Amino acid sequence: MIELFEVTKRFGSEAAVDGISLRVEKGQLCALVGTSGCGKSTTLRMINRLIEHSEGEIHIDGQPVRRFKEETLRRRIGYAIQSTGLFPHWTVERNIGLVPRLLKWPRDRIQARVEELMSLLGLPMESFADKYPNQLSGGQAQRVGVARALAADPDILLMDEPFGALDPITRETLQFELRDLQSRLHKTIVFVTHDMDEALRLADHLVVMRAGRIVQQGAPLELLRDPIDAFVESLLGGEDRGLKEAALTPVSHRMLPLGPHPIAQARIHRDASLHQALAVMFREHVDRLTVVDVEDMPVGELTLRCLVGVHRGEPGA
Amino acid sequence: MRWRLPLVWLSLLLALVLGMEQLEWLFRWIESGSREVIYRRADFLTLLGRHALVVIVASSLAVVIGVGAAILVTRPAGRDFLPLVAQVASMGQTFPPVAVLALAVPVLGFGTLPIIVALLLYGLLPIVRNTLAGLQGIEASVREAAVGMGMSRYQVLRQVELPLAAPVILAGIRTSVTINIATAAIGATVGASNLGDPIISGIVNGNTAYILQGALTIGLLAITVDSVFERWQRRH
Repeated sequence: MIELFEVTKRFGSEAAVDGISLRVEKGQLCALVGTSGCGKSTTLRMINRLIEHSEGEIHIDGQPVRRFKEETLRRRIGYAIQSTGLFPHWTVERNIGLVPRLLKWPRDRIQARVEELMSLLGLPMESFADKYPNQLSGGQAQRVGVARALAADPDILLMDEPFGALDPITRETLQFELRDLQSRLHKTIVFVTHDMDEALRLADHLVVMRAGRIVQQGAPLELLRDPIDAFVESLLGGEDRGLKEAALTPVSHRMLPLGPHPIAQARIHRDASLHQALAVMFREHVDRLTVVDVEDMPVGELTLRCLVGVHRGEPGA
Repeated sequence: MRWRLPLVWLSLLLALVLGMEQLEWLFRWIESGSREVIYRRADFLTLLGRHALVVIVASSLAVVIGVGAAILVTRPAGRDFLPLVAQVASMGQTFPPVAVLALAVPVLGFGTLPIIVALLLYGLLPIVRNTLAGLQGIEASVREAAVGMGMSRYQVLRQVELPLAAPVILAGIRTSVTINIATAAIGATVGASNLGDPIISGIVNGNTAYILQGALTIGLLAITVDSVFERWQRRH
């Protein structure tokens, strides 16, 4: 758990971060979003004390971060950044084993951990262990960066636009991998991004910042349904935010039980999003879909009317 | 055979130093007017040894001081001194070694000490400049990750910064040492006996053969050392 109490950071007389309070529960992924220079990166880097806060308190699991020695604190916290910061003179294997080595783990334990992480992140040991960072693609390098951040199995992970420099397809792949990883590892993650779609896709808790202050925070759906002002609304995509909300809502939340009438030809998986369902309807020129489960068995139906929420409060809503 | 080339140069150097007498016919042909054509006031091996020693001492000091100073001024605590150190090092090289010698002799007396001081000052710039360039050329993100992962300042320096800057630092040391091997010869003017002796003596007595003997030996020494650095650098 990470808590910030009225934290301020001043550079000279300028406040880069101005009295923000924030609580990230254990196992939550908290995304800090905002335009450039809003203080989101500064906030992140105050947690592992790469930047010292000027006022307020930052606690990790109830203990102020200043109580720890800087190095001890940082070895407990995973850290992944946009440009990866991999050491160009070290092999992938050595890069990943950095923090365990700093913590003086025994050799074979480090070896086993590195192997485990490489397979977890889809980097086959035999083809990647001895490569140098300049021999990797952007996506591979970023995977190594994430593996390195996870190496000593820290409870907390700080990620500063880790996928910002990647092409859209690789970025999306890594976003899904991170979500999948998170569903298994349950780390407490603070994730800085300026890409709202990325934030919506990954976050349990979304924090919108502007000029060093938190404008609004809450679950992504809460913000989408009820943005506090025009700034948050435009950041969330303006008129498009309806579609973003649909993208976050699974079909199973709006589907109806199978009716007496013959079932529709077009199908949609129950775990697909309403956004995808809408796309299928639009493409197939229909207003009714059959909802199926993993075995492709019909479990319900989805009409355009209940998709868009005319029937709010119907079963399953 | 990675070390073949340096070894070839080294054998040539030793062959010349030990076999100078055998080349008497050649030097007699070049300097037919003189009675003596081989410099005999001191043994060439001794001169070579003294020459090398002066360069080793001066260059080692220059490495320690130069690399040390460049490391200090790239730390947060010493950053204010960065322009000062860069300037002092540049001034060290604009100052001709002969002038340093002239200034140093009254203070340090005749002999080896003033030439070591002169070489030290003259050799600092390439080392300081390259160490600064090497350390500053490291990507900021690499340093940030190293610190962010929990490496101590010393660990960052030792395991990340120095290895990454090593090729550039080494290139600076190579330049510095090679220049110093040549420059050390002027030490003979203030009584530091080394391979400059035959050259100075040759100039004074108008004996081209003496000059050639000193110059050839110094040249071969410089090439030998340079080729060792060349091999060494390739490993980085």
